Amino acid sequence: MAEDIIVIRDLMKIYRGGVDVVALDNINLNIEAGEFLAIVGPSGSGKSTLLNMIGLLDTPSSGTILLKGTDVTKVTPNERARIRNKELGFVFQYHHLIPEFTALENVMMPMLIAGTRKEEASGRAAELLDQVGLSDRVNNKPNQLSGGQNQRVAVARALVNRPSMVIGDELTGNLDTKSSNRIYELLRDLNRKMNQTFILVTHDMHMAEKTDRIIRIVDGKVVCEMNRDGETFVSNDACSVGEDG
Amino acid sequence: MFEMDVAWRHIVSNRRGTAFTLISVAIAVGVIIMSLGLTEGTKQQIIENTVEKNPHLIISPKEGENYIYLYRSLSGLAAAYPGVKAVSPRLVGQGAARFRERVEGVEFIGMRPDQEDLLMAVQDDMIYGSFSDLQYSRHSAVLGAALAGNLGVRPGGEFYLSQKNRSVKMKVAGLVSKGTSRESTLVYLPLETAQSLSGAGDVVSEIGVKLSDYSAAPEMAADLNLNTRYKVTSWQDFNREIARFVGTQSRINDIFYALIFLISGFVIANTTVMIVTRRTREIGILMAMGARRRSILKIFLIESLLLSPPAGVMGALIGFVFAQIVALYPLDVSTGSTSGVTRLMLVINPEFFIYAILFALGLNVISGIYPAYVAARLDPVQAIGSEMG
Repeated sequence: MAEDIIVIRDLMKIYRGGVDVVALDNINLNIEAGEFLAIVGPSGSGKSTLLNMIGLLDTPSSGTILLKGTDVTKVTPNERARIRNKELGFVFQYHHLIPEFTALENVMMPMLIAGTRKEEASGRAAELLDQVGLSDRVNNKPNQLSGGQNQRVAVARALVNRPSMVIGDELTGNLDTKSSNRIYELLRDLNRKMNQTFILVTHDMHMAEKTDRIIRIVDGKVVCEMNRDGETFVSNDACSVGEDG
Repeated sequence: MFEMDVAWRHIVSNRRGTAFTLISVAIAVGVIIMSLGLTEGTKQQIIENTVEKNPHLIISPKEGENYIYLYRSLSGLAAAYPGVKAVSPRLVGQGAARFRERVEGVEFIGMRPDQEDLLMAVQDDMIYGSFSDLQYSRHSAVLGAALAGNLGVRPGGEFYLSQKNRSVKMKVAGLVSKGTSRESTLVYLPLETAQSLSGAGDVVSEIGVKLSDYSAAPEMAADLNLNTRYKVTSWQDFNREIARFVGTQSRINDIFYALIFLISGFVIANTTVMIVTRRTREIGILMAMGARRRSILKIFLIESLLLSPPAGVMGALIGFVFAQIVALYPLDVSTGSTSGVTRLMLVINPEFFIYAILFALGLNVISGIYPAYVAARLDPVQAIGSEMG
């Protein structure tokens, strides 16, 4: 059994204002290394908020998040930045590549932020672009690539520093079905070949069913969990498939 | 350093924004250089027409006395001071010049031509004859051109110079034109002739001193006042208005430069804030990739720094070119005789361009600090956009 890469305990996130909004309500979750996991739920359920917490882009109101044994809720902002750079990769709905840089330069960026030499970063970036099937597009800028190609560049960028896990938020939300399938197949392939951990938020159950484990969140709570058993999923609670999105 | 790569790429990809910032700073710098040049030109005119056309110091008789008796030793004492370029003992008096039936009131200056020329550069203003001719004849005089015109006397002609009941026949050895109202009453004559005319004996009424640095005059005046019993005044004392004008000009210019700095600074800061707003998502992505807030701050500060030298050079060129154009068309401005300014004059010193580059650097960096701070303080979640909320 693989070790837990993420352990979340009693996680709360409350947005204080005129009316307090409980975005995450006592979340408890373990994620193993090498998992290919989807988090689903209706709009406003807190799935993206949970992703922000795991991705160290935001801090919880209470609770703990252990990343490879370290409580990342208590570290300094600079340490959070370092962990994001070294341990996490992000793929967003919009690829968010830097438009002035080529595909190769975009993929190199996390390594350059880490202080890696340009030659080493360039070699690693080229290798990843080859893995995602874009070795002939290394010198193209984002505006010279299709949506699907840009998203593949974003996947390569997320992997460049060999992160413990890659976080994706509706990463096929802006793509057509064919491109979406292609992206998910790519991630599936990387998960199998590299034992790369993927945590993907999606409202599309069709895409979620391509993963191995589906966590459903409603009103900030984990309401059910489904694990792959061959070609189907087995839930440990009553989950209504099809209510999401 | 990835911050440098990102900053450089921002600059070359955002041509419109970069050009706008460059032009804004360049115009500000160009205006500063023109203003510096105008101020320097005006100051030089004032100094040339006023300060340098008069002695920097005047030594007057002791209290209760009308003349300086020991003028030779006193002149030697003054000449021994460091920075003294010229010392000229003079006997100045009021009299009348008569040529045929015409009579004009005059102020005559009895002096030694070699010393007076060092003091007042009289030969430079001579329009006829040589000032040094006064050394060779006790009855030669140099007249102001306007005075000669009023009297109707020409060079070589003879006229009578009188004071009280004494009169002496003088020959016009030359004419001088200083471009001031003094030339309608001015007569230069040998010191001995003036002493004879006044009947006062071997005395002078004042000693004029010229320094290599006019700003040192008050200090020397104070020292001479302390060590002798003679009254010593500096040009700042007898030209208080000019001294005040020069000082006030500097202060006014400082305020002007500060205003230019503020206005340009706000324009550039505003532009950079707009750029930060446009790049909010990119900043969020960089933070998501692990860039620290300090790195984000660095990126925008580096952008500001990289733009400074070309902006400064452009501004310097603009200032230089406009200065040359203005110099082709000298504009006459009449500001009255007291300040001595008669033309709009630009004087561009080489150090102005160094000031220009430094100004551009300061302007860009200080204007960029606030937007850079705003960028670094962005919340990465909000910066990345609604899909993360």
